[in-house]
Amino acid sequence: MRLLLVDDEKEFVSTLAERLSLRDIEADWVTSAKEAEKIIEKKHYDLVLLDVKMPQVGGRELKKIIEKKIPGIKTIYLTGHGSEEDYQAGSAEAEYYLMKPININDLIKKIHDALKK
Amino acid sequence: MSNMIDPLGEAGLQFYSKVSASISHEIKNSLAVLNESAGYLEDVTLMAKKGMEINMERLESLAGTMLKQVQRTNGIVTNMNRLAHSLDDPASQVDLNALLELMISLSERTTVTRGFKVSAAFSDSAITITTHPFFLENLIWLILDFAMNITGDEKTIAMVPTKTESGAEINFTGLDKMTENAFNDFLTQHVRLILAALHCTLQPNENIGKITLHVPGNITHPVQ
Repeated sequence: MRLLLVDDEKEFVSTLAERLSLRDIEADWVTSAKEAEKIIEKKHYDLVLLDVKMPQVGGRELKKIIEKKIPGIKTIYLTGHGSEEDYQAGSAEAEYYLMKPININDLIKKIHDALKK
Repeated sequence: MSNMIDPLGEAGLQFYSKVSASISHEIKNSLAVLNESAGYLEDVTLMAKKGMEINMERLESLAGTMLKQVQRTNGIVTNMNRLAHSLDDPASQVDLNALLELMISLSERTTVTRGFKVSAAFSDSAITITTHPFFLENLIWLILDFAMNITGDEKTIAMVPTKTESGAEINFTGLDKMTENAFNDFLTQHVRLILAALHCTLQPNENIGKITLHVPGNITHPVQ
Protein backbone atom coordinates (compact mmCIF):
# COMPACT_ATOMS: atom_id res chain seq x y z
CA MET A 1 0.00 0.00 0.00
CA ARG A 2 1.34 3.41 -0.94
CA LEU A 3 -0.26 6.74 -0.11
CA LEU A 4 0.19 10.26 -1.36
CA LEU A 5 -0.54 13.09 1.09
CA VAL A 6 -1.23 16.54 -0.36
CA ASP A 7 -1.52 19.52 1.98
CA ASP A 8 -0.11 23.05 1.83
CA GLU A 9 0.76 22.86 5.55
CA LYS A 10 4.25 21.42 5.10
CA GLU A 11 4.93 20.74 8.77
CA PHE A 12 1.61 18.94 9.14
CA VAL A 13 1.90 16.78 6.06
CA SER A 14 5.58 15.85 6.51
CA THR A 15 5.11 14.85 10.16
CA LEU A 16 1.98 12.87 9.35
CA ALA A 17 3.87 11.00 6.62
CA GLU A 18 6.67 10.31 9.09
CA ARG A 19 4.24 8.94 11.67
CA LEU A 20 2.57 6.73 9.07
CA SER A 21 5.95 5.34 8.01
CA LEU A 22 6.70 4.51 11.67
CA ARG A 23 3.61 2.31 11.39
CA ASP A 24 4.90 0.68 8.18
CA ILE A 25 2.62 2.64 5.88
CA GLU A 26 4.51 4.05 2.93
CA ALA A 27 3.45 7.67 2.42
CA ASP A 28 4.88 10.34 0.15
CA TRP A 29 3.90 13.97 0.65
CA VAL A 30 3.73 17.15 -1.42
CA THR A 31 2.43 20.64 -0.64
CA SER A 32 0.60 21.61 -3.84
CA ALA A 33 -1.58 20.25 -6.59
CA LYS A 34 1.15 21.01 -9.10
CA GLU A 35 3.64 18.81 -7.25
CA ALA A 36 1.00 16.11 -6.86
CA GLU A 37 0.41 16.03 -10.61
CA LYS A 38 4.13 15.57 -11.20
CA ILE A 39 4.66 12.80 -8.66
CA ILE A 40 1.71 10.68 -9.78
CA GLU A 41 3.30 10.55 -13.24
CA LYS A 42 6.26 8.74 -11.71
CA LYS A 43 4.80 6.58 -8.95
CA HIS A 44 1.73 4.47 -8.35
CA TYR A 45 -0.50 5.25 -5.40
CA ASP A 46 -3.42 3.31 -3.94
CA LEU A 47 -4.89 6.20 -2.01
CA VAL A 48 -4.56 9.97 -1.88
CA LEU A 49 -5.19 12.11 1.18
CA LEU A 50 -6.13 15.59 -0.02
CA ASP A 51 -6.49 18.87 1.82
CA VAL A 52 -9.69 20.46 0.55
CA LYS A 53 -8.57 24.09 0.82
CA MET A 54 -5.23 24.76 -0.84
CA PRO A 55 -3.98 27.80 -2.75
CA GLN A 56 -4.66 27.81 -6.50
CA VAL A 57 -6.01 24.26 -6.88
CA GLY A 58 -7.93 22.75 -3.96
CA GLY A 59 -8.35 19.09 -3.08
CA ARG A 60 -11.70 18.64 -4.78
CA GLU A 61 -10.39 19.91 -8.10
CA LEU A 62 -7.17 17.92 -7.70
CA LYS A 63 -9.18 14.72 -7.11
CA LYS A 64 -10.70 15.07 -10.59
CA ILE A 65 -7.25 15.55 -12.14
CA ILE A 66 -5.80 12.53 -10.31
CA GLU A 67 -8.76 10.29 -11.16
CA LYS A 68 -8.21 10.93 -14.85
CA LYS A 69 -4.67 9.60 -14.49
CA ILE A 70 -5.36 6.85 -11.93
CA PRO A 71 -8.96 5.69 -12.42
CA GLY A 72 -10.45 4.11 -9.31
CA ILE A 73 -7.91 5.58 -6.89
CA LYS A 74 -9.30 5.93 -3.37
CA THR A 75 -9.53 9.38 -1.84
CA ILE A 76 -9.79 10.77 1.66
CA TYR A 77 -10.37 14.47 2.14
CA LEU A 78 -8.84 16.32 5.05
CA THR A 79 -9.90 19.78 6.05
CA GLY A 80 -9.92 22.35 8.78
CA HIS A 81 -12.99 23.84 7.13
CA GLY A 82 -16.20 22.82 8.82
CA SER A 83 -19.11 24.09 6.73
CA GLU A 84 -22.03 21.69 6.42
CA GLU A 85 -22.25 22.37 2.68
CA ASP A 86 -18.60 21.39 2.14
CA TYR A 87 -19.05 18.31 4.32
CA GLN A 88 -22.05 17.09 2.33
CA ALA A 89 -20.38 17.66 -1.02
CA GLY A 90 -17.02 16.24 0.08
CA SER A 91 -18.54 13.15 1.69
CA ALA A 92 -20.36 12.32 -1.53
CA GLU A 93 -17.17 12.55 -3.61
CA ALA A 94 -14.56 10.83 -1.46
CA GLU A 95 -14.37 7.66 0.62
CA TYR A 96 -14.10 9.79 3.75
CA TYR A 97 -14.14 13.45 4.70
CA LEU A 98 -12.13 14.04 7.87
CA MET A 99 -11.68 17.12 10.01
CA LYS A 100 -8.34 18.31 11.32
CA PRO A 101 -6.83 17.66 13.76
CA ILE A 102 -7.01 13.90 13.25
CA ASN A 103 -6.30 10.90 15.43
CA ILE A 104 -3.73 8.76 13.63
CA ASN A 105 -5.32 5.45 14.67
CA ASP A 106 -8.70 6.62 13.34
CA LEU A 107 -7.02 7.75 10.14
CA ILE A 108 -5.29 4.38 9.64
CA LYS A 109 -8.59 2.57 10.16
CA LYS A 110 -10.23 4.83 7.59
CA ILE A 111 -7.37 4.22 5.15
CA HIS A 112 -7.83 0.44 5.43
CA ASP A 113 -11.60 0.73 5.17
CA ALA A 114 -11.31 3.00 2.13
CA LEU A 115 -9.04 0.54 0.36
CA LYS A 116 -11.59 -2.23 0.92
CA LYS A 117 -14.42 -0.21 -0.66
CA MET B 1 -40.53 42.42 18.74
CA SER B 2 -39.70 42.97 15.10
CA ASN B 3 -38.45 40.02 13.10
CA MET B 4 -36.81 42.34 10.55
CA ILE B 5 -33.02 42.27 10.52
CA ASP B 6 -31.36 45.65 10.28
CA PRO B 7 -29.56 45.57 6.88
CA LEU B 8 -26.43 47.30 8.18
CA GLY B 9 -26.29 44.89 11.10
CA GLU B 10 -26.83 41.99 8.69
CA ALA B 11 -23.89 43.16 6.55
CA GLY B 12 -21.73 43.35 9.66
CA LEU B 13 -22.79 39.88 10.79
CA GLN B 14 -22.02 38.40 7.36
CA PHE B 15 -18.55 39.93 7.48
CA TYR B 16 -17.94 38.76 11.04
CA SER B 17 -19.13 35.22 10.19
CA LYS B 18 -16.85 34.98 7.17
CA VAL B 19 -13.84 36.18 9.12
CA SER B 20 -14.68 33.81 12.00
CA ALA B 21 -14.93 30.85 9.60
CA SER B 22 -11.61 31.75 8.00
CA ILE B 23 -9.93 32.21 11.37
CA SER B 24 -11.28 28.96 12.79
CA HIS B 25 -9.92 27.21 9.70
CA GLU B 26 -6.51 28.73 10.32
CA ILE B 27 -6.57 27.72 13.98
CA LYS B 28 -7.58 24.17 13.02
CA ASN B 29 -4.61 24.00 10.66
CA SER B 30 -2.30 25.16 13.39
CA LEU B 31 -3.80 22.66 15.84
CA ALA B 32 -3.30 19.91 13.26
CA VAL B 33 0.44 20.70 13.08
CA LEU B 34 0.67 20.73 16.89
CA ASN B 35 -1.31 17.48 17.04
CA GLU B 36 1.04 15.68 14.65
CA SER B 37 4.11 17.11 16.40
CA ALA B 38 2.88 15.95 19.81
CA GLY B 39 1.92 12.61 18.28
CA TYR B 40 5.40 12.20 16.84
CA LEU B 41 6.92 12.95 20.26
CA GLU B 42 4.68 10.27 21.74
CA ASP B 43 5.74 7.83 19.01
CA VAL B 44 9.47 8.34 19.53
CA THR B 45 9.11 8.23 23.32
CA LEU B 46 7.47 4.82 23.06
CA MET B 47 10.20 3.70 20.66
CA ALA B 48 12.92 4.98 23.01
CA LYS B 49 11.42 3.00 25.88
CA LYS B 50 11.88 -0.09 23.71
CA GLY B 51 15.53 0.81 23.29
CA MET B 52 15.47 2.55 19.90
CA GLU B 53 17.76 5.50 19.36
CA ILE B 54 16.24 9.00 19.35
CA ASN B 55 17.15 11.48 16.62
CA MET B 56 17.86 14.56 18.74
CA GLU B 57 18.07 16.90 15.74
CA ARG B 58 14.58 15.88 14.70
CA LEU B 59 13.31 16.58 18.20
CA GLU B 60 14.95 20.00 18.16
CA SER B 61 13.32 20.85 14.82
CA LEU B 62 9.98 19.59 16.14
CA ALA B 63 10.23 21.87 19.19
CA GLY B 64 10.87 24.77 16.80
CA THR B 65 7.81 23.79 14.75
CA MET B 66 5.63 23.70 17.85
CA LEU B 67 6.84 27.08 19.07
CA LYS B 68 6.23 28.56 15.62
CA GLN B 69 2.67 27.22 15.59
CA VAL B 70 1.98 28.67 19.04
CA GLN B 71 3.19 32.07 17.76
CA ARG B 72 1.09 31.69 14.63
CA THR B 73 -2.04 30.84 16.62
CA ASN B 74 -1.35 33.69 19.01
CA GLY B 75 -1.18 36.08 16.05
CA ILE B 76 -4.47 34.74 14.66
CA VAL B 77 -6.24 35.08 18.02
CA THR B 78 -4.77 38.56 18.57
CA ASN B 79 -6.18 39.70 15.21
CA MET B 80 -9.55 38.15 16.04
CA ASN B 81 -9.50 40.02 19.33
CA ARG B 82 -8.70 43.31 17.57
CA LEU B 83 -11.60 42.76 15.18
CA ALA B 84 -13.96 41.92 18.06
CA HIS B 85 -12.95 45.05 19.98
CA SER B 86 -13.46 47.23 16.91
CA LEU B 87 -17.17 47.04 17.76
CA ASP B 88 -16.66 48.49 21.24
CA ASP B 89 -17.34 52.12 20.33
CA PRO B 90 -19.42 53.66 17.53
CA ALA B 91 -16.54 56.04 16.77
CA SER B 92 -12.92 55.77 17.78
CA GLN B 93 -9.51 56.92 16.65
CA VAL B 94 -7.68 54.49 14.38
CA ASP B 95 -4.46 54.51 12.41
CA LEU B 96 -5.31 53.51 8.83
CA ASN B 97 -1.92 51.82 8.47
CA ALA B 98 -2.69 49.51 11.39
CA LEU B 99 -6.24 48.91 10.18
CA LEU B 100 -5.07 47.91 6.70
CA GLU B 101 -2.41 45.66 8.18
CA LEU B 102 -5.13 43.93 10.19
CA MET B 103 -7.29 43.51 7.10
CA ILE B 104 -4.42 41.96 5.13
CA SER B 105 -3.95 39.43 7.94
CA LEU B 106 -7.64 38.68 8.36
CA SER B 107 -8.22 38.20 4.63
CA GLU B 108 -4.98 36.32 3.96
CA ARG B 109 -6.45 32.81 3.97
CA THR B 110 -9.18 33.85 1.52
CA THR B 111 -6.88 35.80 -0.79
CA VAL B 112 -4.08 33.20 -0.81
CA THR B 113 -6.50 30.32 -1.40
CA ARG B 114 -7.81 32.20 -4.42
CA GLY B 115 -4.26 32.84 -5.62
CA PHE B 116 -4.13 36.57 -4.87
CA LYS B 117 -1.55 38.74 -3.20
CA VAL B 118 -2.69 41.80 -1.26
CA SER B 119 -0.17 44.37 -0.12
CA ALA B 120 -0.24 47.86 1.37
CA ALA B 121 2.16 50.74 0.99
CA PHE B 122 2.10 51.94 4.59
CA SER B 123 3.02 55.55 5.21
CA ASP B 124 5.89 56.36 7.57
CA SER B 125 3.67 58.31 9.93
CA ALA B 126 0.29 57.35 11.38
CA ILE B 127 -2.84 58.30 9.42
CA THR B 128 -5.22 58.89 12.29
CA ILE B 129 -8.94 59.21 11.67
CA THR B 130 -12.03 58.95 13.84
CA THR B 131 -14.42 56.40 12.41
CA HIS B 132 -16.43 53.28 13.17
CA PRO B 133 -13.55 50.82 12.81
CA PHE B 134 -15.68 47.70 12.46
CA PHE B 135 -17.68 49.00 9.52
CA LEU B 136 -14.58 50.42 7.85
CA GLU B 137 -13.03 46.94 8.16
CA ASN B 138 -16.26 45.49 6.75
CA LEU B 139 -16.10 47.89 3.80
CA ILE B 140 -12.45 47.11 3.05
CA TRP B 141 -13.24 43.37 3.20
CA LEU B 142 -16.03 43.88 0.64
CA ILE B 143 -13.80 45.98 -1.62
CA LEU B 144 -11.06 43.32 -1.49
CA ASP B 145 -13.61 40.61 -2.29
CA PHE B 146 -14.82 42.64 -5.28
CA ALA B 147 -11.25 43.46 -6.29
CA MET B 148 -10.38 39.77 -6.58
CA ASN B 149 -12.93 39.47 -9.39
CA ILE B 150 -11.50 42.33 -11.42
CA THR B 151 -7.72 42.23 -11.02
CA GLY B 152 -5.35 41.78 -13.88
CA ASP B 153 -3.43 38.60 -14.65
CA GLU B 154 -0.85 39.36 -11.97
CA LYS B 155 -3.57 38.82 -9.34
CA THR B 156 -2.06 41.50 -7.14
CA ILE B 157 -4.02 44.14 -5.25
CA ALA B 158 -2.25 47.08 -3.61
CA MET B 159 -3.76 49.38 -1.01
CA VAL B 160 -2.23 52.81 -0.59
CA PRO B 161 -3.45 54.97 2.32
CA THR B 162 -2.83 58.71 2.20
CA LYS B 163 -3.71 61.60 4.46
CA THR B 164 -5.86 64.26 2.80
CA GLU B 165 -7.24 67.66 3.81
CA SER B 166 -10.64 66.21 4.66
CA GLY B 167 -9.35 63.02 6.25
CA ALA B 168 -7.78 60.22 4.28
CA GLU B 169 -8.09 58.10 1.18
CA ILE B 170 -7.21 54.54 0.34
CA ASN B 171 -6.36 53.72 -3.25
CA PHE B 172 -6.95 50.15 -4.36
CA THR B 173 -4.89 49.44 -7.47
CA GLY B 174 -4.31 46.52 -9.83
CA LEU B 175 -8.01 46.36 -10.78
CA ASP B 176 -7.25 46.16 -14.49
CA LYS B 177 -10.48 44.39 -15.45
CA MET B 178 -12.85 46.81 -13.72
CA THR B 179 -15.74 48.10 -15.83
CA GLU B 180 -18.43 50.66 -15.06
CA ASN B 181 -21.04 47.88 -14.93
CA ALA B 182 -18.95 45.74 -12.59
CA PHE B 183 -18.46 48.70 -10.25
CA ASN B 184 -22.18 49.52 -10.27
CA ASP B 185 -23.02 45.89 -9.50
CA PHE B 186 -20.66 46.08 -6.53
CA LEU B 187 -22.64 48.96 -5.07
CA THR B 188 -25.21 46.73 -3.41
CA GLN B 189 -27.57 47.92 -0.71
CA HIS B 190 -25.13 46.68 1.95
CA VAL B 191 -22.21 48.56 0.43
CA ARG B 192 -24.27 51.75 0.06
CA LEU B 193 -25.46 51.51 3.67
CA ILE B 194 -21.93 51.07 5.00
CA LEU B 195 -20.65 53.95 2.87
CA ALA B 196 -23.45 56.17 4.19
CA ALA B 197 -22.89 55.13 7.81
CA LEU B 198 -19.18 55.90 7.53
CA HIS B 199 -19.72 59.09 5.46
CA CYS B 200 -17.33 57.60 2.92
CA THR B 201 -17.39 57.80 -0.87
CA LEU B 202 -16.00 55.48 -3.52
CA GLN B 203 -14.55 56.76 -6.75
CA PRO B 204 -13.74 54.31 -9.55
CA ASN B 205 -11.24 54.97 -12.30
CA GLU B 206 -11.63 52.23 -14.91
CA ASN B 207 -8.89 53.67 -17.13
CA ILE B 208 -6.15 52.95 -14.63
CA GLY B 209 -7.81 50.12 -12.69
CA LYS B 210 -8.16 51.99 -9.45
CA ILE B 211 -10.81 52.59 -6.80
CA THR B 212 -10.38 55.42 -4.30
CA LEU B 213 -12.10 55.25 -0.96
CA HIS B 214 -12.48 58.68 0.63
CA VAL B 215 -12.72 58.52 4.41
CA PRO B 216 -13.58 61.55 6.58
CA GLY B 217 -11.08 62.59 9.24
CA ASN B 218 -13.90 62.50 11.73
CA ILE B 219 -17.06 60.47 11.24
CA THR B 220 -19.07 63.38 12.60
CA HIS B 221 -17.72 65.63 9.81
CA PRO B 222 -18.64 63.98 6.48
CA VAL B 223 -16.54 64.33 3.32
CA GLN B 224 -18.08 67.02 1.07
